[in-house]
Amino acid sequence: MEAALRPPVVDTTAFGWARRRLFATPVDTIVTLCFGAVVVWVALRIVDWTLISALWSLEDGQTCRDAAGACWAVIEARGRLILFGLYPYEEHWRSTLACLAIVATMALSCVPWFWSLKRLPALWIGGFVTFVVLMHGGVFGLSVVTTEQWGGLSLTVFIFCSVAVIGMPMSIGLALARRSKLPVVRHVTSVFIDLFRSVPLLTILFTAAVVIPLTVPDWAQGDKLGRVIFAFAIFFACYQAEIIRSGMQAIPPGQEEAAAALGMKYWSRVFDILLPQAFRNSLPATINQFVITFKETSIVTIIGFFEIMASANAAVGTGEWGAQYVEVYFFVGAVYFLFVFGLSRYGAYLEKRARLTHA
Amino acid sequence: MPDPVIQLIGVTKSFGPIQVLRGIDLKVGLGEKVVICGQSGSGKSTTIRCINRLEAHDGGRIIVDGVELTDDLDALDEIRREVGMVFQRFNLFPHLTVRENCALPQIRVRGTSRADAEANAMAQLDRMRIADQAAKHPDELSGGQQQRVAIARALCMEPKIMLFDEPTSALDPEMIGEVLDCMVGLARGGMTMVCVTHEMGFARSVADRVVFMGDGMILEAATPDDFFERPQAQETKDFLSKIMAH
Repeated sequence: MEAALRPPVVDTTAFGWARRRLFATPVDTIVTLCFGAVVVWVALRIVDWTLISALWSLEDGQTCRDAAGACWAVIEARGRLILFGLYPYEEHWRSTLACLAIVATMALSCVPWFWSLKRLPALWIGGFVTFVVLMHGGVFGLSVVTTEQWGGLSLTVFIFCSVAVIGMPMSIGLALARRSKLPVVRHVTSVFIDLFRSVPLLTILFTAAVVIPLTVPDWAQGDKLGRVIFAFAIFFACYQAEIIRSGMQAIPPGQEEAAAALGMKYWSRVFDILLPQAFRNSLPATINQFVITFKETSIVTIIGFFEIMASANAAVGTGEWGAQYVEVYFFVGAVYFLFVFGLSRYGAYLEKRARLTHA
Repeated sequence: MPDPVIQLIGVTKSFGPIQVLRGIDLKVGLGEKVVICGQSGSGKSTTIRCINRLEAHDGGRIIVDGVELTDDLDALDEIRREVGMVFQRFNLFPHLTVRENCALPQIRVRGTSRADAEANAMAQLDRMRIADQAAKHPDELSGGQQQRVAIARALCMEPKIMLFDEPTSALDPEMIGEVLDCMVGLARGGMTMVCVTHEMGFARSVADRVVFMGDGMILEAATPDDFFERPQAQETKDFLSKIMAH
């Protein structure tokens, strides 16, 4: 009789793993060593440049030319300009608080407790009012700072949040209209979406910033920043509407039939049955769209807004710090990374949560 | 026959060029149990889907509980409140727990308070012997359990009439029994039922009348005894010999 087959012995130590995965054949060994060397060399260079050889602040008589690595003194000297743009120096505390208020609103709206048709709008109205009161002033003894002077990180975050908060409900409306039973509604929506998607964002923002003042009477123009945000939101909504629609199309028709057979009316079918499932289906694409939008806010530079990218450019625009553009972009890159990485992690959390609650 | 709660008079329906219903006449009395059977494509599912207007009929008249089905949405809502439906593919809402599946429609349609809706949900789930699964999501349940939840969900709306559209066709064989048991229990309780099914044992023991459809028409309608022992139409005989062969 044959002896029972024993399970193969697998060396599960780190050493065993490395031998199986990295050094199994001579070619494997060579490839591993080459890539290992490259990775180590790059990592050492980065650590050396950013930390070991870096100059953190300038002593008497020192200049950045003395630094063998990064010269972070530029952040100390120009950090305010990068973070606040043209915002008046003495009022920077207001911009800081405003930025914190909007970031806190963002963070709170990630908490499931706030996800209701009453709480979420209330939260965002509160957040935006706080932001505008702090930034614009003119009440509670705060001096007026017009939107032309807004800038830096708080402007970036404000544009992003406004675009998302105005754009999301719009995108839901567009997605629903595009699958309407009424042919006129369906076709008009579809042409509208295709129109905005086929035009570059820059063109749309230029139209909002420059063309509208020439063609629309003064009283209807509103603020330039407001117009730009609204145009940006429409652009965002057209893309997001298609994402939500794809999420709806993935829902089996039996879902709506079952809801209809139970006597649920259109709005209840949409808000209780369709949209929650559509959002879950389209979650990765939605997070993607948010990330793209956050980074695309830098495009408003071109029509004269000093968001963080523009103020970073201005910070190294003077001869004194002109050579330190790498450090400044590194810093701005880190700020973007913080937000975008946060968004991605939050997206991953939502996906996990959806799996746990059995999407 | 007692007063009919469902009346179909010369109902016709086409999907594009294909006519699926060619003049259906059917009356179902209060408390009556009608089983509709026939080959696939004979129009039996379309017939019951017309009763709560998941499909709109093209011609003829459909009167449910004294209200005629038209484009009038208010009348339709009234009818859908009285008519429960169970689907082949269960169609539970996957993002809601079993309890919420049963409670939410009551809250939205009947304006029931959440506490009452959940109490009623638990009572109906208990009646279907599935109350212990109330906190789970549908995809954690077996097909048979899901279908029993679907029946409980429909019952929560306190319908006068229950429509079943092949409720056991998507189930593994060992789960068919538990669903049929629940349906038999419901029938004994006096519910008016119209049931599209291939379960001939169920038809024989529960139905007051068996309706046989073919090619968009009713070919034969008889008591179960007559239908199974003395079928009249040739198509019925062929169908029965095929279905009884194994």
